[in-house]
Amino acid sequence: MPVSTDELISEITEIVAEELGVEVDTVSADADLRTVQGADSVKVLRVIARIERARDVELEDEAVFGASTIREVAEVLHRALAEEARV
Amino acid sequence: MTAPADADGLEAIDLPWYVLPDYQCFGCSPHNQHGLRLRFTHHGDGLRTTFRLGRPYESYPGVVHGGLLGVIADEIMGNLIVLRTGQIPFTTGMRLRYVHPVAVGGDYECVARVRDDSTGTLLHAESDIRTRDGEVVATATASYRTVSLDAARGRVALDEPEVDDLHRALAAATTASASTSAAPVSTRTVAGTTVVAGEPTEITVEDSHARVD
Repeated sequence: MPVSTDELISEITEIVAEELGVEVDTVSADADLRTVQGADSVKVLRVIARIERARDVELEDEAVFGASTIREVAEVLHRALAEEARV
Repeated sequence: MTAPADADGLEAIDLPWYVLPDYQCFGCSPHNQHGLRLRFTHHGDGLRTTFRLGRPYESYPGVVHGGLLGVIADEIMGNLIVLRTGQIPFTTGMRLRYVHPVAVGGDYECVARVRDDSTGTLLHAESDIRTRDGEVVATATASYRTVSLDAARGRVALDEPEVDDLHRALAAATTASASTSAAPVSTRTVAGTTVVAGEPTEITVEDSHARVD
C-alpha cells in the first residue's frame, strides 16, 4: 500500500528529532532544517542517510539539497518511492 | 593460519584468498604494502572492519580521500558475499552517500550486511562507515553479480594449482562462515544506529593490518 506524505513527515520528524536530540513535538514540518536549533549540514545529511537506509531508497542529490523542510524532504522521498514502485 | 585479533579483541576471519601466496588485493591483502590490509570480523550476519588511514591516503589536508571509502565499502561487502556464497562477486554498481569528512589518523569502523532484496541474478549489500562513537560518516549500497570460481577463471589470473587451492578455501570459508555468523554479537543502539559494544582499545601497527600510515 502506498505510504502517504503525512506518514513520511511523521517518520522523518522522528529521525530529525533523534539526530538533533530534541523532542518530536518541538520540530515543525515546515521549519527550515538548517536553521533548527542543533542542526547543521552534517546532521541534515545524516538524517538523509538514515531515511535512505530505513526506506531502502536512494534519493537524488539535486532533490535532497533542494529541500529545506521536513515536508519538502518527505515529498522528495514520496516521489522516489513512487518512482521505485513503477520500476 | 590464525589471524590476529582486531581492536575489540575479536579474531579476524581467514579469507579464502590467503591460500594464494602472493595475492595483492589493494583492500585486503596482507602482502600489499601500499594497500589498506583490511581485516574482517563477524558482525551478526554481516562483517565488520576497523581502520585508520595516514597521510598517503589524504585528499584535502587532514581528510582521507573519499575514493578510499569506496574501496573499503566495496571490499567489506564483496568479502561478505564471498563468505556467504563461496562464489566470486564482481561489483556491478555502487553508490556512496558521503555524510562527513573522514579524518586522517582517525579511528573508524565499517560494517556490512547483505540486503533482503537480493535476487538470484544480483546480490545487494549495504555498508556504513562510522566513527568509533557510532556516528555515521558515509553509507554505501552496491550490487554484485556472483559467478563460480570456474566461471571467473577467464577474468582473473590464476594458475591450475591456485584454482584448486582456492576451491578448497572457498568451500571451507563458506562452511566456517555459516557456523559463525549466527553467533550473537553484543551490540547497543545509539539514536537508531547499531554499534558494537565495548570501548576501543589501543593496538599497535603490528597487531592490525588495517592501520596504514
